Amino acid sequence: MKLEERLRGVRRSPWVYHLNSGSCNACDIEILDALTPFFDAERFGVKLVASPRHADVVLFTGPVTREALPKVVKTLKAVPRPRIVVAIGSCAVGGGIWWNTYSTIGGFEKFQGVLKQQGVEIDKVVYVPGCPARPEAIIYGLLLALGYVKQKVSKVVKVVES
Amino acid sequence: MQISRIASPLKLLTIALKVGRVTKKYPFGPPLLTESFRGAISIDPAKCWGCGACTLVCPPNALTMRLEGEKIVLEYFKGRCIFCGMCADTCPANAITVTKEFELAATSVEDLKEDVIHKMSKCAICGKPFVATAEIRDVMKMQPITEEYANICPECRKKRAVKAFGMRFGAST
Repeated sequence: MKLEERLRGVRRSPWVYHLNSGSCNACDIEILDALTPFFDAERFGVKLVASPRHADVVLFTGPVTREALPKVVKTLKAVPRPRIVVAIGSCAVGGGIWWNTYSTIGGFEKFQGVLKQQGVEIDKVVYVPGCPARPEAIIYGLLLALGYVKQKVSKVVKVVES
Repeated sequence: MQISRIASPLKLLTIALKVGRVTKKYPFGPPLLTESFRGAISIDPAKCWGCGACTLVCPPNALTMRLEGEKIVLEYFKGRCIFCGMCADTCPANAITVTKEFELAATSVEDLKEDVIHKMSKCAICGKPFVATAEIRDVMKMQPITEEYANICPECRKKRAVKAFGMRFGAST
């Protein structure tokens, strides 16, 4: 089955699992904020579950510290296919402030290399920048992963004329 | 007992009616943006000099500068940006402004990158590219120095100064 067909089953009520790989907790608080009645991600059927085995979407925060690395791999292995990951915050996208420190992997993009070695396939990744990402940005990223909204950003090249 | 069982939901109902609806209709309605919110920055290529002051202050190195042959490329990676706005404060040309854009989610990291490409101007003596053309142009406007000097790379300028200094004291070169 193609990914789009598989996504159709998830779309109506995505159950999310919140995975912290060593973040500073700011993004985690914003995730909780997105689930409160004020921003109310539950309008889209989003429900926070306690086990990765029940999850459709993984909300991933943090720059993947070396300490958390084996546990994070183990957790992502437990998520059933299709594995959809929403990498939230600057740390999870590009390493953030910790982009070249010795004790972190440096974001989800570099972490995917480790996952490939371990034989864990990720079907879809959505990167949500922000430090921390606002609750609206998290909802937007989640809806982008499920195909409700279209992507707004694309690579820009500006040439200075002089 | 019975009365309290009926009364407690009624109490909740009165509170709920007083507060009203608080949920933001975000993807279908406007987002909650305050005055002080800082989103992604935008670089104006018409004003940018290519001096690299922003790359020095950027805490997570989201703004980087690299040389590609005879071009200077200023790269802005939104994925690593912490939206502190220090670059906008530092920019000597006021080319960087902080926008309120936050819908930056993308399916690939490449989509989050932004390049500003500068031409480099060549040294009038040795012909080596040394600085962005826009920087010379704008610095000349602010500090009118002779164009002869501005078009020379720092190394050649040093050699020239040494030569002039030596000639003054009668050295034979």
